[in-house]
Amino acid sequence: MKPFLSRLPGLACVLLGISLITFTLSYLAPGDRATAIAHARYPEEIAFPPELLQAIRDEFLLEAPFATQYLHWLGNVLRGDFGLSYSSQTPVWEIFTANVGETVTLAFTSLGLGLLVAFCLASLAVRNPGSWMDRGAVLLSSIGAAMPSYWLGLLLILGGAVHLGWLPSYGTGSPAHLVLPALTLAFWVMASQTRLLRSFMLEAGSQAFVETLRLRGIPEREIFFRHTLRHAMVPALTMIGLDLAGLLEGAIIVELTFARSGLGSLLAGSVLSRDLPVVMFLVMFFAIAYVVINSLVDAVQAASDPARRR
Amino acid sequence: MTLADLQVQARIQPRPAPSPLWRFLQRGLTVVGFLAMALIVGLWGTPYGPAEADFLNRLSPPSAAHWFGTDHLGRDIGTRLLYGTFWSLGLSFLVSLAGLIIGTVIGLVAGAAGRLLDLILMRITDSFFAFPELIAAVTFAGLFGPSTLNLVIALSLVSWMKFTRLSRSLAQTIAEQDFVTQARLNGLPRRLILLRHILPNVIPSLLVLWTSSWSRTILAVSGLSFLGFGVQPPAAEWGAMLLDGKAYMQTAPHLMIFPGLAVLISVLAINLAGDRLRDLLTQTK
Repeated sequence: MKPFLSRLPGLACVLLGISLITFTLSYLAPGDRATAIAHARYPEEIAFPPELLQAIRDEFLLEAPFATQYLHWLGNVLRGDFGLSYSSQTPVWEIFTANVGETVTLAFTSLGLGLLVAFCLASLAVRNPGSWMDRGAVLLSSIGAAMPSYWLGLLLILGGAVHLGWLPSYGTGSPAHLVLPALTLAFWVMASQTRLLRSFMLEAGSQAFVETLRLRGIPEREIFFRHTLRHAMVPALTMIGLDLAGLLEGAIIVELTFARSGLGSLLAGSVLSRDLPVVMFLVMFFAIAYVVINSLVDAVQAASDPARRR
Repeated sequence: MTLADLQVQARIQPRPAPSPLWRFLQRGLTVVGFLAMALIVGLWGTPYGPAEADFLNRLSPPSAAHWFGTDHLGRDIGTRLLYGTFWSLGLSFLVSLAGLIIGTVIGLVAGAAGRLLDLILMRITDSFFAFPELIAAVTFAGLFGPSTLNLVIALSLVSWMKFTRLSRSLAQTIAEQDFVTQARLNGLPRRLILLRHILPNVIPSLLVLWTSSWSRTILAVSGLSFLGFGVQPPAAEWGAMLLDGKAYMQTAPHLMIFPGLAVLISVLAINLAGDRLRDLLTQTK
C-alpha cells in the first residue's frame, strides 16, 4: 500500500495545478460568455436586452475577480457539478457518457490488434537478430512511428472505400465503420510496440538464466514461451500503460479524420462553438486520466520491484 | 634516408581515425547542406509561385511541366511543397527549439535551486505534463482562434516539460561528481558552475531528445493544420495542403499523396538521425 499512499500528496498538487491551468485557459478565452449563455438559453432570440446579460453575469459570477471565480468553479467540480453545456443545455456529464463509448471502443480495438501484430513481429524478429526478418520489423516500426496517422487514414479511405468499395469510409454505426479507423490506429500501436517488445525480448533472452536453461537442454520454444516472454512482459506492460495518452491522442486524430463521433469530435466541435463547460470538462478528463494512469503504473512498478520497495 | 624521404613518410603517416560521432556529425551536416542547397535551387529554379493559380490547368496529374501535378486551383504542387518546408519543418523547428531552451533553463534552475523552489517548479512541470500535446493545442488554438501564431503558442506551451525533467535529473547527477565539487571548492560562482560544467554535459542528451521533439512537432503542426486548427490554407503548409486536397481525393489522388509523403520522409529522416546520434553517444560513454 505504501507506494500508492506516498504518491497521494504529489498527485493532489498536480490535480490542483491541472484545474488551475484549465480554468485560466477558459478565463482568458476571448468572446463574451454572457452572450454565449444567453444564446444557449434562448435559441430563437437574436439580440438580448442588457438587463438579461447583466443578470447572467451576476448569476455566473462573470465579473468577480479571478480567484473568486476559480474557487466557485472548483467547488462545483469537486461536488461533481460540471455545469450545463451552453449549446444543448444538458449536463456535461451526460454528453460525456454518450460519447465516451465510441472512443474507448476504437482505442481498445486498435490496442488489441496492434499489440497482436507487434507481438508476432517482435517474436519473429528476435528468433534471429540481424536477419532480414529482424531488420524488416525494425524498418516497419520506424515507418509506422513517422507515419502521419491522418494521412494513413486518407490512404486507407482511398484504397479500401473508394477504389475497392468494400467499406464505409466516414461516420459511425455498424462494426464495418470501425475497420478503417481501427486499422489506422493499430498501425501506430504496432509501430511503437514492436520496437519496444523486440528490445525487451532481446534483453530478457540474453540473461544468464536463459543460458542456464539452454544448457539444461530445455527446448528453445519452451524457453521462449515460458521464460523469456514472461520476463519481457513486465516492462512491456508498463510501456503500454504509459502510452495510453498517446493512444487517446491518436484516437482523437483518427476520429476527426474519419468523421466518427466520440470524444475527439466532441472536443473539436465544442471548442469551435466555444462551449466552455464541455471543453473544460474534456481537457480536465484527459489530463486527469493521464496523471492517474501514470501514477498507478509507477506505483505498481515500484511495488513489484524489490530494489525499489522500501 | 634523405630529408625528402622523411617528408614523404611524414605525409603518409596515417592520421588518427576520427571518432564515429564526429564522422556522423560531418556526414549529417553534409546531407543537410545538400538538402538546403536543393531547396534553394528549387525555389530559385521553379517558374511558378506558391499561390500562382492557373485555372486552365486544374488538377492535372504529374507531367514534365508540373513534376508533382497541380491542385484544384491550378497551383504547382512541387513549388508549394518547397515553400511548405518553411512552414512544416520551420515552424516545428522553432517550436521545438523554444521548448528546448525554456525547458532546459527551468530544469537547470530547478536542479541547482533549493528544495522548495525545486518542488514548486517540478509540480508546475508535472501539471503541464498532464495535458496531452494535441488536446492542449486543439483547445488553445480553437478557443483563441485557429491561426499560425496561436498554433505556435499552443505547441510551445506543451513542448518544454520533457526537457525540464531530463535536464534537471542530469544536472543533479552531474552536480554530485568530483569535478563539480572541485570547481565549487575552488570558489567558482554557482552561475558559472552551471554554465561551464553542468550545461556542456547535459547538452548531448538534450539534443537527442530534441530530435524526437522536432519530429513529433512536425506531425503535430501538420496534423493540426490538416484538422483546421493550425496554419490556414492557402498557406502551403503540408497538412493544410492535405486538407485542401482531401475533397479531390478520388479524381486527383496526387493532391494528397505528395504532401503526406513529404511529412513521412522528413519525420523518418529526423528520427533515424536521432536514433543514430543516441547510439553513438551511448557508445562513447
